[in-house]
Amino acid sequence: MATEENNSGTKADMITTTVADDFSERIAAERTRSRIVELGPLLVMLALIVAMSVFVRGFFTWNNLAALLQQIATPLVLSMGLTFVLLIGSIDLSLEGVMGFAGSIVALLVLNTKNQLDLGVVGILIAITAGTLFGILSGVLHTRLKIPSFMVTFGMGSAITGFGILSYRGIPASVNDPMFAHIAAGAFLGMPLLTWFALVVFFIALSIERYTAFGRHLFAIGENESMVRATGINVDTIKVIVFAWAAFCSSVAGVFGAIKLNIGQVIISNGFLFSTITAVVVGGTSLVGGSGGVVQSLVGVIIVTMIQDGMILLGVNAYVQPAVQGMIVIAAVSLTVARGRKLVFK
Amino acid sequence: MEDVLFRTRKTGKQYPGTVALKDIDLEVRRGEIVGLVGENGAGKSTLLRIISCVEQPTSGSMEMHGRQFRGKNLLEANLMGVGMVFQEQSLMKKLSVAQNIFLGREKSFGTLTFINWRKMNVAASKVLESLGLKDILPARKVIELDFAARQMVEIAKVLNLVGDRQEGCLILLDEPTSVLNEIEIKKLFEKMKLIRDQGNSIIFVSHRLSEVIEISDRIYVFKDGQQTALVERKNANEDILYEKMVGRSTSGEYFKVDRQTDPGEEIILEARNLALKGYFKNVSFRVRRGEVLGICGVVGSGKEEVCAVLCGDDRPDGGQIFVNSIERHFADPAAALKAGVLSVPKERREEGIIGILSVAENISLSSMKAISRHNVISYRERSNRAKEWIAKLNIKTSGPKEHTETLSGGNAQKVVFARAISGGENKILILNHPTRGVDVGAKEEIYLLIREITERGIGIVLLGDTLDETISLSSRLIVMKDGLVLAELEAPKDNKPSQVDVVRYMM
Repeated sequence: MATEENNSGTKADMITTTVADDFSERIAAERTRSRIVELGPLLVMLALIVAMSVFVRGFFTWNNLAALLQQIATPLVLSMGLTFVLLIGSIDLSLEGVMGFAGSIVALLVLNTKNQLDLGVVGILIAITAGTLFGILSGVLHTRLKIPSFMVTFGMGSAITGFGILSYRGIPASVNDPMFAHIAAGAFLGMPLLTWFALVVFFIALSIERYTAFGRHLFAIGENESMVRATGINVDTIKVIVFAWAAFCSSVAGVFGAIKLNIGQVIISNGFLFSTITAVVVGGTSLVGGSGGVVQSLVGVIIVTMIQDGMILLGVNAYVQPAVQGMIVIAAVSLTVARGRKLVFK
Repeated sequence: MEDVLFRTRKTGKQYPGTVALKDIDLEVRRGEIVGLVGENGAGKSTLLRIISCVEQPTSGSMEMHGRQFRGKNLLEANLMGVGMVFQEQSLMKKLSVAQNIFLGREKSFGTLTFINWRKMNVAASKVLESLGLKDILPARKVIELDFAARQMVEIAKVLNLVGDRQEGCLILLDEPTSVLNEIEIKKLFEKMKLIRDQGNSIIFVSHRLSEVIEISDRIYVFKDGQQTALVERKNANEDILYEKMVGRSTSGEYFKVDRQTDPGEEIILEARNLALKGYFKNVSFRVRRGEVLGICGVVGSGKEEVCAVLCGDDRPDGGQIFVNSIERHFADPAAALKAGVLSVPKERREEGIIGILSVAENISLSSMKAISRHNVISYRERSNRAKEWIAKLNIKTSGPKEHTETLSGGNAQKVVFARAISGGENKILILNHPTRGVDVGAKEEIYLLIREITERGIGIVLLGDTLDETISLSSRLIVMKDGLVLAELEAPKDNKPSQVDVVRYMM
């Protein structure tokens, strides 16, 4: 009746080795993949630098490198905020809204063409605080009402853009404050002041990520939220802080925008949401959370900025450039995302 | 008198409609390893979840150190000295070993915000050293470790979480050996003995009886939510445990065994050396016309994955599938359906029916062509067909327009069956736990239905809800363990193998 099987004991021993080996192969494959995702963007960046220096005329010139440093400031600040949000597996679509809002009101608070206010640095702090409050609100709505983050921030972004336009009643304020002009033109050790500020934000983000329990918890939440909850960590509070941090970064970027353009209106943020998501994802931060980090995002920002710069230098049609960016983000995601046949994508 | 660390008193767990655990009197003494064995569904996992406070018992009480033991969640269980090592590991792969060990307890390693990682790493190496794990570096990321090392870290973490006390703690290990190789298992057992000799206790759950006998001081046997035996190690052998584990066999009449078909010669489904990496390999079998092939095995034996491969949910890493002697590659369930293989999935509510659609719509879901003319659905045709099946299968519903989600489990299952067999061209049916969550009356009707289907020449691959059911319904059985087919048994209607015959190969 039964197939030949006189000693199930020896057979079982054999199996334990075979399936276990298969299993450890899977673990090893997972490890290899994670290393590729970690190192890949860095190699891409180096390859791009070499390729562009060789093939793109005018890339490796002092003027162009200075321009690159200047360009990197805003996306770097924005990506620091978004990185934390993506690490916990959420998304922040209100980035442009908050940035435009903060840029609009900071222009109304410092010396400007629309009113008598001249608050200077205090005005900048107020604008950043106001923007950050919207982040807290998004975080609270997301955690308390259990609305998906993309929906909360989507709606919030639209609402904040509205507030931004309302603040200047349709006609934006131009900035007269000499401080703005000084910062915009200023440089230290050859690097633009705004880029220094962006680097400060980067190092703050890096210290939070590397040296605080909060930073480590971001990764843990992204990987397995329910397990983190079971450990007794207050996940909701962490999430609110993450959205506040993201809004803080967006607000700083908004102030950057007002400084650069000398005007405060919501459209200064146009296009930054997409390029920031692209940069963070290209850097290797996973859209589902749990892996990546701010150093990766720095690399991603450099890659994306270089590509934009390269396309301009090569004279690529301005309307084609967003299409190229779109391709890049899809390619980056398709290389990093885990695929399971049984996963349902919506 | 023995020093009792933990005990349950008449502990039970009742879910709506079913009793998962009944009157469990389990006793764990200080410094011993208690084995827990039983078939799937015997209640082992439920008991572990109750002891680790992930679930609450509905009756009885528990005691730890002679004091009442009751907690709302895992965290509270940890505080009282009970820790659980999960089968699917709970470590965070991108964090370091030390960060994982002290996750959620970082406060003692730094000022308000900044953590002194060096201090934490030193503390973590102490934790690891107490288990003799000197070769695991606390600063390494978990993803860099192999599975066995991760498991050791997990055990060290749990031990550190609950231990650190003079009176001893209780560690629950749920199937810790299932993906370890021999050397790793030996190491694990050494650590378990070390933990025991330090005055702690362990509850060890495994489906590998030889391992349980090797490591446990005493073994509790569970069956259908009740404890059926307590065996001391010196008296334990596999045969005794098999006997205590299996239930009484239900009468053949209940399963309509007299209507079991004698399978024809024609082979309609054949698997040759199927493999899915890390789950199963070298799986071969044949299904003939009108035959029920039962696949037996515990959860984790690979039988569920075989099923998934057969119905196109997973792509195999090796081997071939033949339908009517033609080799097929199923890219997805639609391809399998096209080849004539249809599955009745286990998670009926999630994968089998679409609750917000009507009964008629659900029935016709897989046979749209048959009810359409020029690619437009004929509502009349659909409704007529639905009525026909409702009558044929005795589906209790207010009519073909009723939402399927409002039907009872048994009737919803009949809708799934109607969908599966109304296509007409289907030759093979994969039944994955067709009677799960179905009441007794509807179960009998489903058994009858299975007999009718096979009489029409359709072949069935069956994963039964109980061993009894699988043996009684099938005309042939394959038994899987740890990803391999260990035995193939004939099960003719007049000479069914006993449950012990089958369990012998399963565990």
